[in-house]
Amino acid sequence: MGLFTNMMPFATVSLEGAALLRVRALTVTYSTRNRQSAPALRRVSFDIAPGEILGILGESGSGKSTLALAILGLLPANCSVEGTILFQDEDLLQMDESRWREIRGAKISMIFQEPGLSLSPVMRVGDQIAEIIRAHRPGNGKTRKLECEAVLRGVRLSEVDRIYRAYPHQLSGGELHRVAIAQALACRPDLVIADESTRSLDVTVQAEVLNLLREINRKRGSALIFITHNPALLAGFADRVMVMYAGGIVEQGPTAQVFSRPLHPYTKGLLQLIPRSRNGTNLTSEGRLPVIPGSLPALNPSSRGCLFEPRCSVRTAHCQNESPGEVTPERGRRVSCFNYGN
Amino acid sequence: MASKRKIVAAVMFLLSLHLAILLAGFVAPYDPAAQNRDFPFAPPTRVRFVDAAGHLHARPFIYQCVARPDGIYEYEESRELRYPVHLFVVGPEYKLVGLWPSRVHLFGVEAPAQIFLAGTDNYGRDQFSRILYGGQISVAAGLLATGTSLLLGLLIGCVSGFYGKWLDESAMRLAELFLVLPWLYLLLAVRAFLPLHISPTQTFLLLVVVIGTIGWARPARLIRGIVLGAKNRKYVTASRSFGASDYYILRRHVLPHTYGILLTQAALLVPQYVIAEVTLSFFGLGLSEPMPSWGNLLANLQQYNVLVSYWWMFLPALALVLVSFGYLNVANAFHERLQSGST
Repeated sequence: MGLFTNMMPFATVSLEGAALLRVRALTVTYSTRNRQSAPALRRVSFDIAPGEILGILGESGSGKSTLALAILGLLPANCSVEGTILFQDEDLLQMDESRWREIRGAKISMIFQEPGLSLSPVMRVGDQIAEIIRAHRPGNGKTRKLECEAVLRGVRLSEVDRIYRAYPHQLSGGELHRVAIAQALACRPDLVIADESTRSLDVTVQAEVLNLLREINRKRGSALIFITHNPALLAGFADRVMVMYAGGIVEQGPTAQVFSRPLHPYTKGLLQLIPRSRNGTNLTSEGRLPVIPGSLPALNPSSRGCLFEPRCSVRTAHCQNESPGEVTPERGRRVSCFNYGN
Repeated sequence: MASKRKIVAAVMFLLSLHLAILLAGFVAPYDPAAQNRDFPFAPPTRVRFVDAAGHLHARPFIYQCVARPDGIYEYEESRELRYPVHLFVVGPEYKLVGLWPSRVHLFGVEAPAQIFLAGTDNYGRDQFSRILYGGQISVAAGLLATGTSLLLGLLIGCVSGFYGKWLDESAMRLAELFLVLPWLYLLLAVRAFLPLHISPTQTFLLLVVVIGTIGWARPARLIRGIVLGAKNRKYVTASRSFGASDYYILRRHVLPHTYGILLTQAALLVPQYVIAEVTLSFFGLGLSEPMPSWGNLLANLQQYNVLVSYWWMFLPALALVLVSFGYLNVANAFHERLQSGST
């Protein structure tokens, strides 16, 4: 019922104009042969406007990657998916495989976690990009090669010739990363999903990649979903941020507002975990980082109440029995907590 | 680089064997069906360098073989005339690779002498020529049956590994059934079930199909394993996320991983299937006279007097051993090469 009461304000909340991607009540359940487990995503709803950068924040196991795979239709066969994912007013979940193939890579594409593993070791890097273009657009080999080189230059790679002809093992981590981005951008998609894509990079390269992603986003107007577990990366980068916990969205809103005034106790806990350089402003009296006690709950289909309740510092008796619906405390922000702000 | 030289040597050896068999008409001095009723069971002709008078000759020569007047199937050399062995002589007409008619043979001697490098059989046919021609049948049967097996194995293994579920389950149970079947008896049963007198081409094709279809299970299981591993690679998911189809992923990201297994399986299967053909022909269920195959050449040994009296009738077995050795040697050399490369 929480969802219904909030559908209305949510429509006005979304940015002006039509949303590029409209996810409604998305529930994904992994099931093994004889056991139905708890949903990995529970009634997730959000919008992305064209050209927006949405940061998705959450610890491992919170359903971030499942969400990314669901948007691309790449969930394994033992998943049951409910809800709707409207992309440019077309329900992705109702599409057949051939329509999926037209959309993947061309309209929605993905930058993977470890580019060293997501590139085939036995194909030249340039060919792997060219193949993506070939799959989506007619054209001959020569023009494709030119296009590829343009894409490689677009991700700020110099020595395009060398990189075009190289095998993945001949490139450095940063170069591989840019190649992975080039792959995702090869067909100028409207939506790019980056799943933990800066995890394996060192800080300087990470900053370069973030700048590059932002620059491409601004230049081409393609929306970006940036999935990470590190809140520090999102500040000043994402337009909006969405915090996930145990398969649900606990809070979403404009990055600056969420980071300066977090509403959900989980978001507060996460933000306090960023170590600051200035003499330990966020350290406890014992001089330690304030950890969130407990760990992700074992997913259990029969559980009632708020999933964060066991770890929550502001819990009340009410929290145990009923799961909180999303509420809209102020324009553009939504939070799933009975006691937000306390 | 010792291993590299080993590979080259092994491959060269195998290639030369195949070349000799392929160009049987050129390498063999006589027509495999030409009979010399005067010389049944003649022993292999001795190639000599030193003549009866003790003189050394640079060019090898032979003495003419003549029947001993007092014996049956007993021969001696007539020492009167030397018959030097010439290269590229003109002899009986044949078709090279079954296509180009020619009369030139690799070696030969002038009539009336005849050179029987591996002796003759009960009709006085030159065994050396028959072994070479017989190899065409036996080795071709082995190669084609291997091709059939691997193709079937590749298809079933790929589909079963890639699509999984009930397809995989049923294909693998079927594979297990085929693995426990005693193939030799199955072959005998299938062959015995069919009419005895069918044309040689039909027999040949039948052999190939039967041997080839029975052997698909092992390669299919191996390939399925490879496919299972390959299809879950990150770059397969990645390429799917860029719009790749199943067929594309199979072709570009999965199949290349199976080449190694296919090669080693081929090296192991070919000799096995050659032996299968030989076995069937030996029992008279394969190709029959006058068409030579290693199996029906060896079938002569079923007669007791041949078995004990004429040792050269075992020589087709030597050819079989050489070819089997050639294949296993290649497989072994590659194996060593890969081992040394991985350390």
